[in-house]
Amino acid sequence: MSINWTVQQRATLDAILDVLIPANPDKHIPGAGEFGTAEFILMQTAKIASFASAIAALLDRAGELAGNITPNVVRQLESEQPEAFRALLVETYKGYYSRAEIRPLVGVGAHPVHPLGYDVAPESAEDLAALTAPVRARGPLYRRTPNRGGGQSDAP
Amino acid sequence: MPHDPVDVLIVGAGASGAAIAWSLLETRMRILCLEQGPHLHDKDFPSRREDYELARYDTFSCDPNVRKLKQDYPINSTDSCITPVNWNGVGGSTINFLGHWPRMRPSDFRTKTLDGVGDDWPVDYETLAPFYDMNDANTGVSGLAGNPAYPDYTPPLPPIPMGKLGRTLASGFNELEWHWWPSDVSILSRDYDGRQKCVNAGTCDLGCAAGAKGGTNFTYWPILENAGVELRTECRVREVLVDPETGFATGVLYHGPDGQLHEQKAELVVLACNGVGTPRLLLNSTSKLFPEGLANRSDMVGRNLMFHPLTGVAGVFDEPMLGHEGPMACSILSQEFYESDPSRGFVRGYGLHSGRSTTPMTYALGGYGIDNPIPWGAEHRKVMDNIYPYLAGLTVVTEDLPEAHNRVTLDPELTDSDGIPAPKITYRLGENTQRMLKHGEARATELLRAAGARDVLTKGDDSVWWRAGWHQMGTCRMGDDPETSVVNGWGRCHDVKNLFIVDGSIFVTAGAVNPTSTIQALALYVGDCIKTNIATLFD
Repeated sequence: MSINWTVQQRATLDAILDVLIPANPDKHIPGAGEFGTAEFILMQTAKIASFASAIAALLDRAGELAGNITPNVVRQLESEQPEAFRALLVETYKGYYSRAEIRPLVGVGAHPVHPLGYDVAPESAEDLAALTAPVRARGPLYRRTPNRGGGQSDAP
Repeated sequence: MPHDPVDVLIVGAGASGAAIAWSLLETRMRILCLEQGPHLHDKDFPSRREDYELARYDTFSCDPNVRKLKQDYPINSTDSCITPVNWNGVGGSTINFLGHWPRMRPSDFRTKTLDGVGDDWPVDYETLAPFYDMNDANTGVSGLAGNPAYPDYTPPLPPIPMGKLGRTLASGFNELEWHWWPSDVSILSRDYDGRQKCVNAGTCDLGCAAGAKGGTNFTYWPILENAGVELRTECRVREVLVDPETGFATGVLYHGPDGQLHEQKAELVVLACNGVGTPRLLLNSTSKLFPEGLANRSDMVGRNLMFHPLTGVAGVFDEPMLGHEGPMACSILSQEFYESDPSRGFVRGYGLHSGRSTTPMTYALGGYGIDNPIPWGAEHRKVMDNIYPYLAGLTVVTEDLPEAHNRVTLDPELTDSDGIPAPKITYRLGENTQRMLKHGEARATELLRAAGARDVLTKGDDSVWWRAGWHQMGTCRMGDDPETSVVNGWGRCHDVKNLFIVDGSIFVTAGAVNPTSTIQALALYVGDCIKTNIATLFD
């Protein structure tokens, strides 16, 4: 089952998504609705029949509850249809954060991680020696262990 | 459909199957490996895609019950607080493991003598040390020599970068005068043996497309295939066959990629399917001689299942920790609380592992291996903008003790796509482990404060990480006594003298470290014992 979205349903879904992941105008981070996460939700409804039913039920109920989608309305949807709501929340997070443009806004590279990866400088031998000096100064930390013959192994 | 007999038949092309095949190469025996999954090309790994994170929740999930690929078998974990995770294909779980590579410590092999719990192993650290070294060289291990938590050894490559996150935590450990050390990892810090060094992508669980992580698809298998070891993929073994007169294994029945059932005869059979797959196969191999499952006269097949129960604690710092840059699970490791101390209220101990932080989607969905989405609404914005970039965390990795009621059995109804009964996990957390987790959570909190965290986030309940079942040990344990163990001190089944087991199932105790380094060292050791005893191998 997939949903044939009406204009009203799409607007309602966008509004719900904007409540789930709100924008941060100060950092130019868009909300999930304005960012078009509904397209991903639509794609998932086409793949997973149970998800399509859940979204249809949520949107129907949202239409009954109010003209404007507010956090209180979304909280009521969560309370009344917890499984469907959780499914929507999970797919919203997947759809929103799978978009490369979002990652730099929370400090992560937009690029596919291979082949470029990230430049991370290795510590120099001198830095490592200085950092580990207090640990080495304590001496061996492992326990003396009897070997199978009952004698002591070559341990401190 | 019969095939020409082989000398050695290995079931499973993961960590241990590849290692023992390498060990046996010099015998010039005809070696065949049957692997239930395919051989993925590195271009198939999702880290080259823009939406790479999505794969974690689909075809590259660590959980076979989520992936549901053709080669996966379902696992019933409804009676367990931890579910096993794995990969089925050439490389096995070294495809999606995180490459953390600590060795077990000398005391891990003597827990009964030292602490009165578990059992002593029939081998010890000194015996395995040269095989650890050999395997480190074959795999390409990076680390820093001189760790005072171990007898001396030198990793072949220098350590991978600790990163800002690792250095910050190290300062906290030094402040408290606790042990820590740069992690040993099977991840290349330099180009090595024709393989490219790590590019710090941070998505080790999605398969290393650079070839820097020591999956056996990149380490052992290219050598093995060049040397003539036959690798048959998409071949799922149904049962090990036994001669009713001699009690020796004669080979296996397996489902091939053509959908047909094949018979493969062999002089010697080696099981390398890890701590869930191996007991499942033995329990599915019933006969008049072994009505309760092959090599199971002791009733120990499937029992004493051990994981490494985990919990995580995260610190929020004032500056971004860049935790997504660098190998995912490894920066530094503290073994300050590894050994028994009666004043702590539990025996044995745990490690504090500094994993790096994960990517945004995975964090929003609750963290790696966790299904618990972070809050929505204004709180979501606050968490992603003001907490996520500033995180550095510690994972408490505890030593599980062997308990006979924790076990793998066969599910009476659930099967894989070939109709083979699936495994069922029955597992509960021991009291000792629960006390250890609480202690570890408190110490991790103390450490993060000492390192400068402005806030510390804990789970706030007693639950453990659900998808923590990477390390599956103990279900066909080693021992000298056939009444209480499945294999002897060099991996040969007490009940079937041409049947060997080389994976994590033969562990006697679990230690509190990632087991792959020890699994492969053991496989090389077993291979060496086979060669040493070749003239009298089946006596």
